[in-house]
Amino acid sequence: MTMSSSSHAGIQSIAEYVPAKVASVGELHERGLLRGSPDTLRSFGFETVHLAGEESNIDMAIAAAEKVLEESEIDREEIGMILYAAALNSSSTLWDGNGGSPNGSVLQLESVPDLFKYPTSIIQTELDLPNASVVGINQLGCASIFAALRMARALIVAEDDLKSVLCVSADKFPAGRHRDLAYNIVSDGACAALVCRGADRNRIVECTQVTKGALWDSEEIENEIIAAYFPTAKALVERTLAKAGLKMDDIALIVPHNVALRSWEILGRLIGCPADRIYTENIARVGHTIGSDNLLNLRCATESGRIEKGDYLLLFTFGYGSNWACMIVQH
Amino acid sequence: MSSTEMREQSIFLTGATGAVGSELLRNLAARKGLTINVLVRRTDREPCERVKTLLGDLDVTAKLNVLEGDVCAGPSLGLDNAAVGSLQRETTHIIHAAGSTSFGLALPDARAANVWGSRNVLDFARSCASLECGAFLSTVYVSGKRRGDFAESDYGDAGHGFVNSYEQSKAEMEEMVREAMSELPLILVRLSIVVGDSATGRVSRFNAIHHAIRLFYTGLAPMIPGEPAGPVDMVSSDFVAAGVLQLLENGPSPGVFHLAAGRESCSSLEELVDETMSALARFRPEWRKRSVEKPLIVDLDTYELFVRSVEETGNPVLQGATRSIRTFAYQLAHPKVFETERAAAALAWGGISPQPSLAFYPRVIKYCLESNWGMRPC
Repeated sequence: MTMSSSSHAGIQSIAEYVPAKVASVGELHERGLLRGSPDTLRSFGFETVHLAGEESNIDMAIAAAEKVLEESEIDREEIGMILYAAALNSSSTLWDGNGGSPNGSVLQLESVPDLFKYPTSIIQTELDLPNASVVGINQLGCASIFAALRMARALIVAEDDLKSVLCVSADKFPAGRHRDLAYNIVSDGACAALVCRGADRNRIVECTQVTKGALWDSEEIENEIIAAYFPTAKALVERTLAKAGLKMDDIALIVPHNVALRSWEILGRLIGCPADRIYTENIARVGHTIGSDNLLNLRCATESGRIEKGDYLLLFTFGYGSNWACMIVQH
Repeated sequence: MSSTEMREQSIFLTGATGAVGSELLRNLAARKGLTINVLVRRTDREPCERVKTLLGDLDVTAKLNVLEGDVCAGPSLGLDNAAVGSLQRETTHIIHAAGSTSFGLALPDARAANVWGSRNVLDFARSCASLECGAFLSTVYVSGKRRGDFAESDYGDAGHGFVNSYEQSKAEMEEMVREAMSELPLILVRLSIVVGDSATGRVSRFNAIHHAIRLFYTGLAPMIPGEPAGPVDMVSSDFVAAGVLQLLENGPSPGVFHLAAGRESCSSLEELVDETMSALARFRPEWRKRSVEKPLIVDLDTYELFVRSVEETGNPVLQGATRSIRTFAYQLAHPKVFETERAAAALAWGGISPQPSLAFYPRVIKYCLESNWGMRPC
């Protein structure tokens, strides 16, 4: 793979890792893994989710990243940076997500040095990327990967010698915990994207993010967060379009996060986007993979022939924290 | 209506503990040479005590009689024969302000409060030998789901339906009063949304609008149905009190009058939402930290989709918020302008006219904040 010396950056390749193990909404309910009504979740468009077994979030991250490196056939020495985006606090540690953590903690702390053991370094060495410096990104919930893509683009534009950045996101939900959050069902999964200088597809046109720090306590003020979701999402989408000099009619496809289909029906109406221009095919089958939804959907939409060269695509997500993130790419 | 003009007059007032009735009572009680017979229901508190609380430290100069009774208690209004007889001889004016303004009642319950209670007051009016005028308070929202202009000469929903049982029961009440107008000197006074005192912002009774302001404040109202440019009609309680009393004394009877902001003084829905958010930030600067987004104004289909989703979640907080808004907010999706020609003509000589809604609305928001929506003395 060769890239031009252009100053623009794009998402050249995408790969995902979704655990093979599948559970239906009914099965999750029977196993006590749902807080809410399975009927409501089904009516919101969810059918099955993917559950990690023994594999940790790092295993999933490496699997997705290895896949994207192989499929892109990139020279690994070209990768100058890894941005590892984790939504769950536990995903930025070496905690394996299989339980056993003390109440309130996200990792098994045996000693202080454990606090200095980072997944990103392991990913770098396991993938054999000797020229890649590493940065971990978290605290943006499901919007973490958007921050990674945004920073990758900005760094490539800013640093002449940086050609390719590997963005990886992986999250494994704590075992035995309710998998429905704010009326969405969470899957385990990972994604990886190569952001490259002069990429011949998925040029990153615009990236925006809104953070409402007042809404940081996702448990205590969940209702306020749900209520804030729609007006903030609409405002951000409109702002992103305006910054890009585009209108909603210019967008060929919205590539969403896999939250409730109903919420996309509502948001679609609010932003003036008809349902057939929102790629919702994976919501029922995959559920909400925390940070990996949009890239997974972008790959699926591309492979399904829904996207043509030159199409403008709008990616949108929300992450606890609370963060709303939006991105426009040109395929 | 000057104190001189009201001399020797005896007013029978129902609904004196309500939002409008209490304003009327305070206004009347401060006049001289007037007898006010106030019909008050017993609740967990004595009627006299309830009235005393309403009047506070007001210098009461009228002759005030508090009568324990209930408009829904049959033709006697819950009074004994002697009291009824005395009222029948004495009463020159009736103001029927009693009723339920709850938007969420089942229709039979709304009818019981607003139709059957009014029928009893009408029967009482027929028995008053000296009746000069009876004012029955109604609402401009008897117009239901009509859109466009609604004149004082118009009646009812014209087949468009009603948003809630309150509107329907009031429209049914109007039908009954209109029939009685051929035999009695009656006026129907249709009120717009009464939000508070224009000078102080004081709210005597918090209603759905104030609850909506609270939901804006708490960030639990992501959207409301309507059209951004659609008119929203609100009036102050002091305008309504002065207007009702002026019409009672000088309004042509029979007649129907709108005490509303009308075309000139109403605001658009977008202006109202903007002013709400602006005033909350102005009067409670620390509120900005909450980063509450301005509620969206959306079409009815989108709003109903949102409401249906909230209902499906079973989330009691969000359900409570949407139910609180939907009881009146559907009106916003049926924008209309209330014409006020008759009322304007009748009130003109007294110099009574509605203020532009947005001139006093911020003071009401300030009062809501300072009183914590009535939970704190203010």
